[in-house]
Amino acid sequence: MGFSNINVGPSWWDLSMPPIDISTNGHLIDSLFNYTTALCVFYFVLVCIGLFGFSFIYSRKRHKTAYYTYGNKKQHLIFTAVIGAAVFLTIDLNITRIANNDLLGEFWKFPNPKTEKVLRVEVMAQQWMWSFRYTGPDNQFGTKDDVVTNNDLRVPVNTKILFHLTSKDVIHSFWVPNVRVKVDTIPGRVTRTWWEVTTPGVYDIACAEMCGTPHYLMKAQLTVLSEEDFGRWLKSSEELAINTNDPDDMNLAWGWKWEI
Amino acid sequence: MSGGFNEIHPEPTTFISKYIISFDHKVIAKQFLWMGIAFLGLGGMMAILIRWTLAYPGQAFPVLGGFLFPNTAGVVPPDTYAMLFTMHGTIMIFFAITPILIGAFGNYCIPLMIGARDMAFPMLNMLSFWFAFASGVVLCASLLLPLGAAAGGWTSYPTLSTTIGSPGAGQTLWCVSIFLFGISSTMGAINYVTTVITLRAPGMGYFDMPLTVWGLWLTAILNAIFVPVLGAGVILLTLDRVMGTTFFLAGASATSGSGDPVLFQHVFWIFGHPEVYILILPAWGIVSDLLSFFARKPAFGAKATALSMTAVTILSTVVYGHHMFTTSMSPLLTQSFMTMTMTISIPSAIFFANWLGTIWRGSIRFDSPMLFSLGVVFVFGLGGLTGLHLGTVTTDLYLHDTYFVVGHFHYTMAASVLLGGFAGIYFWFPKMFGRMMNETLAKIHFWGTMIPLNGIFFGMLMVGYGGMHRRIYNPFVYESLQKLIPINTMITISALIMGAFQIIFVINFLWSLLKGPKASQNPWEVGTLEWTIPSPPVHHNYDVIPVVRCGPHEFGNPNLKTGRDFQYQTEELVEATT
Amino acid sequence: MNRSQSQNNLAMTIVLISGAMLFATLFMGYAIYRTSAPTWPPMGSTKVSLGLPFLATLTILLSSWFCHRVQLAVKVENFARASMELNMTLGLGFVFLFIQSSLWFHMKNVGLYTSSGIFASILYAYTWIHAVHVVLGLFSLIWLRVVLRPSNARILQKTINVERFWHFLGIVWIIMFLTLFVL
Ligand code: HEA
Ligand code: HEA
Ligand code: CUA
Ligand SMILES: [Cu+2]
Repeated sequence: MGFSNINVGPSWWDLSMPPIDISTNGHLIDSLFNYTTALCVFYFVLVCIGLFGFSFIYSRKRHKTAYYTYGNKKQHLIFTAVIGAAVFLTIDLNITRIANNDLLGEFWKFPNPKTEKVLRVEVMAQQWMWSFRYTGPDNQFGTKDDVVTNNDLRVPVNTKILFHLTSKDVIHSFWVPNVRVKVDTIPGRVTRTWWEVTTPGVYDIACAEMCGTPHYLMKAQLTVLSEEDFGRWLKSSEELAINTNDPDDMNLAWGWKWEI
Repeated sequence: MSGGFNEIHPEPTTFISKYIISFDHKVIAKQFLWMGIAFLGLGGMMAILIRWTLAYPGQAFPVLGGFLFPNTAGVVPPDTYAMLFTMHGTIMIFFAITPILIGAFGNYCIPLMIGARDMAFPMLNMLSFWFAFASGVVLCASLLLPLGAAAGGWTSYPTLSTTIGSPGAGQTLWCVSIFLFGISSTMGAINYVTTVITLRAPGMGYFDMPLTVWGLWLTAILNAIFVPVLGAGVILLTLDRVMGTTFFLAGASATSGSGDPVLFQHVFWIFGHPEVYILILPAWGIVSDLLSFFARKPAFGAKATALSMTAVTILSTVVYGHHMFTTSMSPLLTQSFMTMTMTISIPSAIFFANWLGTIWRGSIRFDSPMLFSLGVVFVFGLGGLTGLHLGTVTTDLYLHDTYFVVGHFHYTMAASVLLGGFAGIYFWFPKMFGRMMNETLAKIHFWGTMIPLNGIFFGMLMVGYGGMHRRIYNPFVYESLQKLIPINTMITISALIMGAFQIIFVINFLWSLLKGPKASQNPWEVGTLEWTIPSPPVHHNYDVIPVVRCGPHEFGNPNLKTGRDFQYQTEELVEATT
Repeated sequence: MNRSQSQNNLAMTIVLISGAMLFATLFMGYAIYRTSAPTWPPMGSTKVSLGLPFLATLTILLSSWFCHRVQLAVKVENFARASMELNMTLGLGFVFLFIQSSLWFHMKNVGLYTSSGIFASILYAYTWIHAVHVVLGLFSLIWLRVVLRPSNARILQKTINVERFWHFLGIVWIIMFLTLFVL
């Protein structure tokens, strides 16, 4: 905004833009944000016009005697009522409706592994790292052939990915800024989220919930691969898993049966 | 009250009974004010440390650093950072804003503005302050513990805040302190509500009360109802910590049987959301009054303002879930909380419109209290409107726990409520201490606060939307956040400037206290009851209890023959021909 | 009803509202734990026998009844009887506390420790919190016993407020008895 012109290089306006959106749903969040902002700017401009305008015109110097009114005349009440109604109709109803549609239409429309092609991942957060678990060939979690990675999540493009998350110790929050959505991981319960990414690359995974002093260090890496690369990687690591996973290694034993 | 002056309590004679364990609401108010300002300073210093760390990670804090953190050569250590923002939040909310806005103004204004000789229960009032003081001491003591103070954020979510996440005694002391504070608040609330209901001067209907009293009254009601909820929460948390119960332990951390960490979040926010309105309602009331007082014009739609503040009070009890959207509550809950949250903007918009209506065609005097009030209108517009971004679930999935939230609540609390508090201090200082504050310094303080303040908090909104999350010691371990270094530096510099200008306030405050010019009985030419008596008022406030004959905002009536442009509430309302 | 009277009644009403909110929160928690648990009591913990809790309920009911009679006696300014009834109220109050403490010992003996899971946590914590309030109630009763004099101004309405607080504790206990122990 005002800052944009007081320093060289990319303007602060650009700097304060969120990281690029690599997901299929993220744009919904961005557009709703911008829409809300636009409406808010409109009303805030109204407020400023009133605030600064009146302060200027009706300052004691320019306006000796105040107009004596309680503001309870009919037209006054109508004015306030209109403002209230306008805010409700133009902002509240709109953005609530949009948000609600996006939730029902996308964010809460969890893909069903039975009927469609879905990559299922179990996420275990703990102080202070992320562990990810793929089913392995047997399509079962919590078995010896599971592929388990730490702080390293690899996913294919153009595939719905369904996460079930939990935490070993304290509450963490699983956040991929480039995908926009964030979901808490809570000890003792399993939370869900899903998304689908479109652009290969390497991105940050952050823990967004205060979870102790090293909270700021609890980051993992998201690698988005083309479907072939991903397939290759998964294959090799499955073999690796079958050969090397030892069943009574406690660090691997956290997988749980996946109930849908 | 009919009877003699001493019906409530006799004039104190000894130093102790006059200044320490005083029963006099005016003295108790000043005690709260001192406590509040001191803690505001402490919390502010912490804010500065926080900002320094965020802009210059790994660099020694100038001057004080070496002395504060000797074993890291002046650099704020990570664990200390966690304690800093936890204490900063707790102190600012419970020990800076609450004492000033509710403790000081509540005690001072309610009896004077409704024409009473004191609170309904002076003894309870005195206890209320000393409980608050004790809880403050407990909190500060926790800073000196070997393992340090609480470090789980002011929300102190389990299981982080249980012994598995924070072994030290700091978190336990935090709970104790908050509990003591809760007792103090409840005592205060009992007093305020009872006083307003039973001690209004004859002739004063509810809508003849200044809106300040309205705000404080609604705040007290919320306090009485919702502080006990937090009380229950921290009791259970304390038991989890010291008695080995498992209310909030779950999963691998729960040895046997499993509790539910999310329950604490529900309990905390059932209290926590009303709490934020508890903080701002007094400020809204003060601003609504001051705008009218200095625009020399009756408050526009005063009744509507009072009623919409009431509406916000009621609605504030059913929206708390908007703090928990990312815990994936049941969809139905999520949707209803989103909708309820939105509805709050209607009453807000209404009194917003009334505020503007009040200065519309007024004859505005730009004295310092007015400047701060106008400032509140500006910053609360921003703070409130950013609340809408957070209110819609989908956007909140991205914004939750980012600096956008931090920016939002600083605009509402650290900006709106703080400026409202300053407005009140500048406005009532003459009545409290019988001297005027220096107007020039006050104006410098205003601009020196207002401008950097927006630098700080708008900057927070920007970095928040840019993807920087909360409560992180060093944002720049994330490559994606390194682009935000310049904005963070700007925020920090603004914070330093703002902090520096607060010193002008402190100087002005102390200097005026001793050397300021004597204040007349009614320096602002305002008609509410407290200005009908000398400044400072005598021990029993009113020799004869005044009889109220008109509203608090009688300005600019063309038919006034008194030569004044306002009426005292004790005067018969002059009929206006227009 | 003069002003200071209405003041004290109002204040007591607010106190009761606050107290109600505190216990309401606890019961809300209980409801959530209970409904979200697959089995109740959860695996490994067993219900405690109703004997002692039932006794406690009788005691506190009786005590409330006497407390009411105190008020009736004060109304007709029969202070001799009033103090008699008040002694009964107090005595039963102490008996209630005694029963509670033996309940805690009993739970310990049957292997329910504060640390043995959510079920035990609730039983202990809630009864503790209630007991603390009962102690406060006893203090106010003792205070009433001290000031219970014909000469004392507004004694009737002081009695009424203490009585309200005592009844409140009785009601809370009955709810606890029904929800925590019987159901
Ligand atoms: C005084 C404090 C205060 C106030 C008043 C508010 C007001 C509001 N807050 Fe805020 N909030 C906090 C303090 C406050 N908040 C705090 C402390 C937190 C974070 C706690 C933590 O996590 O640490 C928080 C967090 C918070 C969240 C959670 C964010 C998250 O953690 O993910 C949400 C979500 O909905 C929210 C929403 C709102 C809304 C909708 C309002 C509404 O009341 C706003 C209503 C006002 C308006 C909508 C403006 C009206 C004016 C106009 C519309 C102008 C039009 C008029 C004319 C043109 C004349 N707040
Ligand atoms: C009303 C409450 C309030 C106020 C006024 C402030 C004021 C400020 N806050 Fe505050 N802040 C919170 C409430 C408040 N904050 C809360 C609730 C949190 C969340 C904590 C958590 O995450 O758990 C938070 C968190 C928070 C963070 C996020 C920390 C993190 O997530 O990592 C940051 C970072 O910049 C910050 C900065 C500031 C700054 C720069 C100010 C500046 O405005 C400060 C300016 C003021 C001063 C510099 C002092 C003024 C001094 C006087 C007026 C008198 C001086 C007196 C003497 C010297 C005796 N705050
Ligand atoms: Cu894990 Cu923050
Ligand atoms: Cu809220």
